Amino acid sequence: MAKIISIHSFRGGTGKSNMTANLSVMAASQGKRVAIIDTDIQSPGIHVLFGLDEDSMALTLNDYLWDRCTIAEAAYDVTPASVAAKGGKVHLIPCSIKAGEIARILNEGYSVMLLNDGLRKLCQELALDYLFIDTHPGLNKETLLSIAISDSLIIILRPDRQDFQGTAVTLQVANRLDTPKTNLVVNKVLTKYDREAVREQVAEKFQTPVIGVFPVSEEMIELGSKELFTLTFPDHPYTTELRGVARHVVT
Amino acid sequence: MNDSQNQQALDAQLDSLIQPFKAVASPLQEFLSDLYIKYKPLTEGKVADYIPELAKVDPDLFAISVVTVDGKVIEVGDIDQLFTIQSASKPFVHGLTLEDCGRDFVLSRVGVEPTGEAFNAIVLDESSGRPYNPMVNAGAIATAGLVKGDDPTAKLNRVMEMFRNYCGRDLYVDMSVYTSERSTGHRNRAIAHLMLNFGMVDQNLDDMLDLYFKQCSVMVNCHDLGVMAATLANNGRNPMTNARALDSQYIKDVLSVMYTCGMYDYSGEWSYRVGLPAKSGVGGGIVAVVPKLLGIGVFSPRLDSRGNSVRGVKVCEELSSHFGFHSFDLHDDHSKFLSSLTRTRST
Ligand SMILES: Nc1ncnc2c1ncn2[C@@H]1O[C@H](COP(=O)(O)OP(=O)(O)OP(=O)(O)O)[C@@H](O)[C@H]1O
Ligand SMILES: [Mg+2]
Repeated sequence: MAKIISIHSFRGGTGKSNMTANLSVMAASQGKRVAIIDTDIQSPGIHVLFGLDEDSMALTLNDYLWDRCTIAEAAYDVTPASVAAKGGKVHLIPCSIKAGEIARILNEGYSVMLLNDGLRKLCQELALDYLFIDTHPGLNKETLLSIAISDSLIIILRPDRQDFQGTAVTLQVANRLDTPKTNLVVNKVLTKYDREAVREQVAEKFQTPVIGVFPVSEEMIELGSKELFTLTFPDHPYTTELRGVARHVVT
Repeated sequence: MNDSQNQQALDAQLDSLIQPFKAVASPLQEFLSDLYIKYKPLTEGKVADYIPELAKVDPDLFAISVVTVDGKVIEVGDIDQLFTIQSASKPFVHGLTLEDCGRDFVLSRVGVEPTGEAFNAIVLDESSGRPYNPMVNAGAIATAGLVKGDDPTAKLNRVMEMFRNYCGRDLYVDMSVYTSERSTGHRNRAIAHLMLNFGMVDQNLDDMLDLYFKQCSVMVNCHDLGVMAATLANNGRNPMTNARALDSQYIKDVLSVMYTCGMYDYSGEWSYRVGLPAKSGVGGGIVAVVPKLLGIGVFSPRLDSRGNSVRGVKVCEELSSHFGFHSFDLHDDHSKFLSSLTRTRST
């Protein structure tokens, strides 16, 4: 049975998409069959990290939600060569980046049950070991569904008061949704701070395990979501820290 | 509003937002989805075609609804698809007449004896002249004749009000189905005349038949069936709206007749295999009741030779055997079902 891992943050720009993409690739490089689904229908972006653009995405999650294709038909094999060599597979189900498609979702809504069915079918049809869900920040239908069905939820926050307050909200919701496993990750921590101290403080504050504390990285900013950070910088502290996160959620 | 009331109201808001997502993530949802995937390809059986309106339904439609007595809803498939309730209306109208006329009078007009005959058989009990039971056409037509009301419109309004109490929304009669039923209902007309001959019905036959054809032409969806069944399971109170749909003293009357007569001439084997009070309709719907626990609605238009939904019967069989719903499965305390409603958390 596939394990479903959702990556969420209450506020935007915390680094969800980059972490989801890199974590998935790390799991796949252990020989796992992995898929990533972009449920950020309103502001999709994770496809960029895998070099997809509007023209290379003939079918998307949107087409599935409008019954124009099966969910597996909207899955793209984006396995990096180095991961393929290790027997892993990475599939990506992107969201449409066409303004009209985004507008249609916002105007007409869609069936959560259909999305749930799609996620289940995806796990079966692609014989997945792991399904990673990249989410839209805040609370909305897609996010609630992904938190409700995930075996493991990772909430990302920055050392910022607004993020702290938002994280408390997400934790409350996850608690009510009986999510089996919830962990926190702190991203974009200034290098002058002691990361171990940050880990302890945040874990104490939320009474929730903190499984990674990531430094803000100039290289990451410079890379600008052009490619997968951990493949380009295999020895960077961000990469090392992400291996620790992978050890927690990928077994 | 004081602070704690306000907090309670906010908690209720959060709960009502979250509940559907919780249901979707429950093991029961997974079980229903698996059943759906398993039986979706099944094309056995034939859609009812005695009137064109029924024949033109998409035979592949399929939905399952489970509604608990505390209002949890777990569903899969074409859950909003409307279809005609047909014979699944019978137990509900039977309940209404029990309230209207009392147990003894209803029993003097319609028996409670199962019959091995087909649902549309033109037979009455030789010795009493009564129709065998309220679930066969003869009994249901006689039952429609017992609904109180000053005129046909008042009677229909009472039936529709009853349906509203059961499902928590206004239903309507599909006029084209009704017109077809009425113009092709020669057999049902014959049954009514036979009952008139035996002195078992005493009013205008046309009005009585008209109400019967209308009650069968009410449009419902699978979710409605689940809620209606749950209302019976909940001792006559709709679990979502808390409206009373049936006086609780008559629940046992309605459920026992459903138990012994609800599935046409498959009723005996149904009671043995599935062990639940249930009623099917040729529109493809089945309502099944697990008393004090939940209601089941299934919709799938292809029927077996007895007029029961093929996939509907299979789904009920599997739900009953998996969760131990059979009325006489005494070793089961429903713990398996109750634990399927929420995910287990690892600590
Ligand atoms: N540790 C880091 N150090 C520096 N920059 C980072 C770090 N992590 C992510 N970023 C940058 O932050 C920006 C936002 O990242 P990303 O798109 O992954 O966030 P997101 O949470 O998915 O955003 P959104 O909420 O808009 O979907 C990107 O420009 C990314 O390169
Ligand atoms: Mg993102």
